[in-house]
Amino acid sequence: MAITFGLLLVFFIAVIWILQRTGIRDTSFTDYAVAGRSFGARYQAMSFLNTWYPGSMFTAFGALAATTGVMSFYVVSYSLLTVVLMYVMARTVWIWGKRFDLHTQPDLFALRYNSRHIRTIAAIIGIISGVPWLVLGMQALGDLFHFMSLGYLPFSVSVIIGVTVVAIRQIWTVRLGMRGVIVSDYFQGIVAYIGGSLILGGLIIWLVVAKDSTLSSLDPKMYAIPGLSSKQGPLYVFSLILTGTIGGWCWPYIFVRLFTADGVGSLKKSAALAVPLSFVFGTLLLIFGMLASALPSVVAQPNDAWFLVAQEAGGHLLLGLAGVVLLAASMGHTDGNIQAYGAQIATDIIGNYTKLDQTRLIVIAKVGMLLITILASWLACLTLPALFSLAVLAYQGIIQLAVPQFFGIFWRRGNKQGAIAGMVCGFATAVFLELVFPGYLPWAWGLTSGAVALVVNGCVYVGLAYLLPQTESERLRVAGLFKMVQEPPPIRTDSVSLTTSYLR
Amino acid sequence: MPMEFVQLRRGQSRAISLWFIFDAVVALAPPLYWAADANTRPILSIPIALLYFLAVGACITGSVIAAYFDDRARGEVS
Repeated sequence: MAITFGLLLVFFIAVIWILQRTGIRDTSFTDYAVAGRSFGARYQAMSFLNTWYPGSMFTAFGALAATTGVMSFYVVSYSLLTVVLMYVMARTVWIWGKRFDLHTQPDLFALRYNSRHIRTIAAIIGIISGVPWLVLGMQALGDLFHFMSLGYLPFSVSVIIGVTVVAIRQIWTVRLGMRGVIVSDYFQGIVAYIGGSLILGGLIIWLVVAKDSTLSSLDPKMYAIPGLSSKQGPLYVFSLILTGTIGGWCWPYIFVRLFTADGVGSLKKSAALAVPLSFVFGTLLLIFGMLASALPSVVAQPNDAWFLVAQEAGGHLLLGLAGVVLLAASMGHTDGNIQAYGAQIATDIIGNYTKLDQTRLIVIAKVGMLLITILASWLACLTLPALFSLAVLAYQGIIQLAVPQFFGIFWRRGNKQGAIAGMVCGFATAVFLELVFPGYLPWAWGLTSGAVALVVNGCVYVGLAYLLPQTESERLRVAGLFKMVQEPPPIRTDSVSLTTSYLR
Repeated sequence: MPMEFVQLRRGQSRAISLWFIFDAVVALAPPLYWAADANTRPILSIPIALLYFLAVGACITGSVIAAYFDDRARGEVS
């Protein structure tokens, strides 16, 4: 236990040391919320990965690979496709962000649709949908500390320790804002995805050599992909990949990464850096899970495959390193969540209806982060049997932001009426269908509730775009936004406040 | 393409745009994964069902890296 907890302690101290060296430079809300748009490609890439892949990748998707086999690779497909999306929208989002001093995803909605209220609606959907996942992430640390104690600590106590550790870490998230998140993401990302990939590679070799578990020796059922005659339906995998790809950019903590880069070039380079790392890490993790399914201990406890195999292969030292990797991944995800929600509370909810100066915005964001941390920590210590179902429900709901987001970025005709009505109809449809048909819809060939709701959402959006044409002044304003994207980016552009009429 | 769609490809080659579209097709088209379903016949010692996903991943990874170098060659990014 001294080895495992000792390694965790060393890692935690290293993160705090890095954060302490970062220093506070939040002279403006832009500094605090998007780190002054100052980070280069390497930081952007690691920050994206550290937020994209939570610690539960090692447990939940490791278990999925161990139980369902190759089907679990849908997560790699959508994690890579989402980087393509990032590449395609990088230019538009970054230029609008820089030109109009945008800080959050709802900020962009407000700009594109010239609407004050859409900002609040998008922020509330984002925060409500994100809290269950934040709580799940904190609870997952319970597993970590239970294993690091070699089973001595009861699970309930382990959850409290995990929540305490991650809550202490948030002191620096609150103090340093986005700059602290990204600097620590860089270190945590290297540990979690480069260090994690090295450990995964070693464990795969161990499974092949020492346990004779190979791709050819696995049960043929491990190569099943839900198809025409499957229980889930022929479009189930399609639906998972589609909603995963576009849904990823609906999370506020992912979207805000597009605003923290120091230019379009850095964003695009970060995509080129992140995509091979993501491919290698995801592939190794899932192949590891599949091969680990040959071990009786993993069959009995698939969720713990990462810890069980590490301990069996390398004793307490490797178990401790596996714990460090999972903690690094978990902290990055949690920090990003809390930072994004704090910024949204300040700018999109309170600041949307009250005139606040820079100092007050920062103070409110800090208080918001503190409140979210306390709320999530409290919920994580409770027994909430419906939490996972609620989280799935929340995911099907939040992806409804995709319609106004992507149509808004790539299509000039959409209007605020269609954006708001589409989002509300899509959200309601997703919630209703998920409650009635949890998981997937057998009558829709396996489409998930969120995918069907996206169709409803899209039809409302496009329908209202044609039924309620933009006024001439709005058409010109939107045309101006898109024209701006086509022009070469300025070498230096002082950010301006939103010049759209809703604030004037 | 309707006029109101924003032009995404300021300086991005048509080949890269087509490659991105191809990425979406190979990753999402149900007939492709239906064909790979339960196919354990190995190619280079890798069962086809797994090889399908690896090929999709390699294709997408290659496209993003190629897009970056294409943009750099055109002076779109530094």
